[in-house]
Amino acid sequence: MPWKRKHLIDVDDWEREDFELLLEQTSNMDSILDRSIKKAPALRGKIVVNIFYEPSTRTRTSFEIAGKLLSADVINWTASGSSAAKGESLRDTIWTLEAMGADAVVIRHGEVGVPYYLAEKLKKASVINGGDGTHAHPTQALLDLYTAWRELGSLDGKKVAIVGDILHSRVARSDIYAFKAVGAEVCLSGPSTLMPTDINSLNATYEPNIAEAIDGADVVYMLRIQRERQDAGLFPSLDEYHKRYGLTDKLLGKAKKGALVMHPGPINRGVEIASSVADGPQSFILKQVRAGVAVRMALLYLMLGGVKE
Amino acid sequence: MKWLVNGRLFDGELLREGLCDLVIDKGRVAKIAPAGRFVPPEGATRIDLDGRILAPGFIDLHAHLRDPGQEWREDIISGSRAAAAGGFATVVAMPNTDPPIDRSSLVRYVLERGQSAGAARVLPAGSVTKGRHGQELAEMWFMANEGAAIFTDDGLPVSTAHLLRTALLYADDLGMAIMEHPEELSLTKDAQVNDGPCAARSGLKGAPKAAELIAVERGIALAKDTGAHLHLTHLSAKESLEAVRRAKKDGINITCDVTPHHLTLDESLIEKSGYSAAYKVNPPLRTAHDLEALWEGLADGTVDAIATDHAPYHLDEKDLPFQEAASGIASLECAVAVVLDAWLKRGKPFGIERLLRLFTAGPASVLRKSDLGRIEEGSVADITALDIGRERRVEAKRWESKARITPWEGAALCGWPVMTMREGKVIWVDGDSRLHAERD
Ligand SMILES: [Zn+2]
Repeated sequence: MPWKRKHLIDVDDWEREDFELLLEQTSNMDSILDRSIKKAPALRGKIVVNIFYEPSTRTRTSFEIAGKLLSADVINWTASGSSAAKGESLRDTIWTLEAMGADAVVIRHGEVGVPYYLAEKLKKASVINGGDGTHAHPTQALLDLYTAWRELGSLDGKKVAIVGDILHSRVARSDIYAFKAVGAEVCLSGPSTLMPTDINSLNATYEPNIAEAIDGADVVYMLRIQRERQDAGLFPSLDEYHKRYGLTDKLLGKAKKGALVMHPGPINRGVEIASSVADGPQSFILKQVRAGVAVRMALLYLMLGGVKE
Repeated sequence: MKWLVNGRLFDGELLREGLCDLVIDKGRVAKIAPAGRFVPPEGATRIDLDGRILAPGFIDLHAHLRDPGQEWREDIISGSRAAAAGGFATVVAMPNTDPPIDRSSLVRYVLERGQSAGAARVLPAGSVTKGRHGQELAEMWFMANEGAAIFTDDGLPVSTAHLLRTALLYADDLGMAIMEHPEELSLTKDAQVNDGPCAARSGLKGAPKAAELIAVERGIALAKDTGAHLHLTHLSAKESLEAVRRAKKDGINITCDVTPHHLTLDESLIEKSGYSAAYKVNPPLRTAHDLEALWEGLADGTVDAIATDHAPYHLDEKDLPFQEAASGIASLECAVAVVLDAWLKRGKPFGIERLLRLFTAGPASVLRKSDLGRIEEGSVADITALDIGRERRVEAKRWESKARITPWEGAALCGWPVMTMREGKVIWVDGDSRLHAERD
């Protein structure tokens, strides 16, 4: 199946075959990471611009390494500006990038929908969503999917539990789509105050009791809890949160034997996850980080029509 | 003097059998008769309506004309012309301007600017509170004497129940209504969309329907308590309509309006459009369920008027990513067609007379203006001619309004006004309609 998508804004319109093709391609890229000389010439002469309106060293660096390993020229555009002026400068920025000949623009923005806006304004370049507000984080979902797939093989009928602040999580939204699309079942857990009101439209089940939610799970995915949610009165204290929803060794015992523990990082030790679990044998957190590079290489390769080695 | 012939006359209540001729003299309807019954008056300009509907000039209860203070978005001249081009002979200008319309001198300013536009009659709505600060009552009696048509702190609800109660009593003495924008603000902070499927999937902060319902119930309780007339504007949720329906059954002095966008667009379009800010509005677009409930409200008489809530913005405030863009849908020039087209596509779920009342007698009674919203011998000659069969595309770049972004851009809609007349003067005619009328 050839790759037809010009932009990657969300994975909610992806078919199962799209995910499968991407997983295969990521596998190939993953093997490049094992070589002593990790550079391939596939994207020589292509320009990839990273614009990050929200700081995220992790994601930005991952895209940067991915582009460089495929020999693309990667430029990091430092974005700033007051909230009010942001939109206008964004429009100007877009046209400037176009004029400079960017082939792909990776954008991270604190507001929902910015990558759609970008894609609408750009005439030629591809847009890759590096995370938009609370909406979507498709490359994170793809690297999570790849990490689980590599370990478990087919995900048909596998159980994925996603625990924590679903309401404010772009990672959860994209992960639900990705895991469901390849046949997994997804169960959400966390306090109701951190769930969308209309949780049914997320196409996953909701189980407020975390022990039930991770019972027999193949993947336990813990989301980062931000202190500002406590400040907003959505739960009383981090201590109470940890006692109720933090992943401890005991709780992890409820999941399937050898279940994968995943987290989008950076972790809050002692809040959503106990240190012993984060550093324990079932933790795949660092494998996710590595998969992030391979997935982004695969994406850039597919989207920019890279040539075969 | 004008001689309108071959119109299907809707008089504000009923659509008469057969075709009618009308003589208009000195701004009033001088004579009405079945077509061909009398000889043309000497020197009268003949306008042949060719079977189109001839209705009382439409009235929009709720438009933001942004003047004074935000004229880059709209001004009274452009707004008044936009209203005329949308088939409205009268438009009520909301007072959330800069400064807000909170005193008689500003009411006079709006009236005079409206007069000089020579298009739709602009009726100023006055603020309920001084500066729209929600602290003290504004000088409503002074404003009423100057020509204010209704009072509202629109953009916001009246700040407290106590103030709303006082305002209702005070306005009632003046024979006027309070128009309330129903929103419980503690539930809508930073909200961008309806708190439903779209909020769940996008992560955008949702405004729950309960935020509207709580304010609707507050208003109903106070209207019941005072006996005064409260008008609830831009209702969007099924539950709100149900509350109003019950209140009306109980004989409470409540009226309400809904907007063309809440009648035709639902929240799923926000996602489908890739989060286009054209769909960003307050109250937010709700679900298809709510939309159906609004149509039921039109059908059974729960809704008294259709009001545009025309909210124009400059391109720089609207052509932005969803979260940054201003809230508001501009629609004055296509609102009637949007509603007529939807009514036709729904297979005419109720009679045309009921639909036309929502633009004429309905809003006139909210304003307590017995001289508007009807056509009879001696009445003010405000007239809108409607062509139900006419199809046209929405093209915002051709608008009189300064707004250029609208969710209906490019849509081919059926059922357009083709001429608007105010006090016997043709203030707008659709040049492509083959209706032979000259603008005065
Ligand atoms: Zn309002």
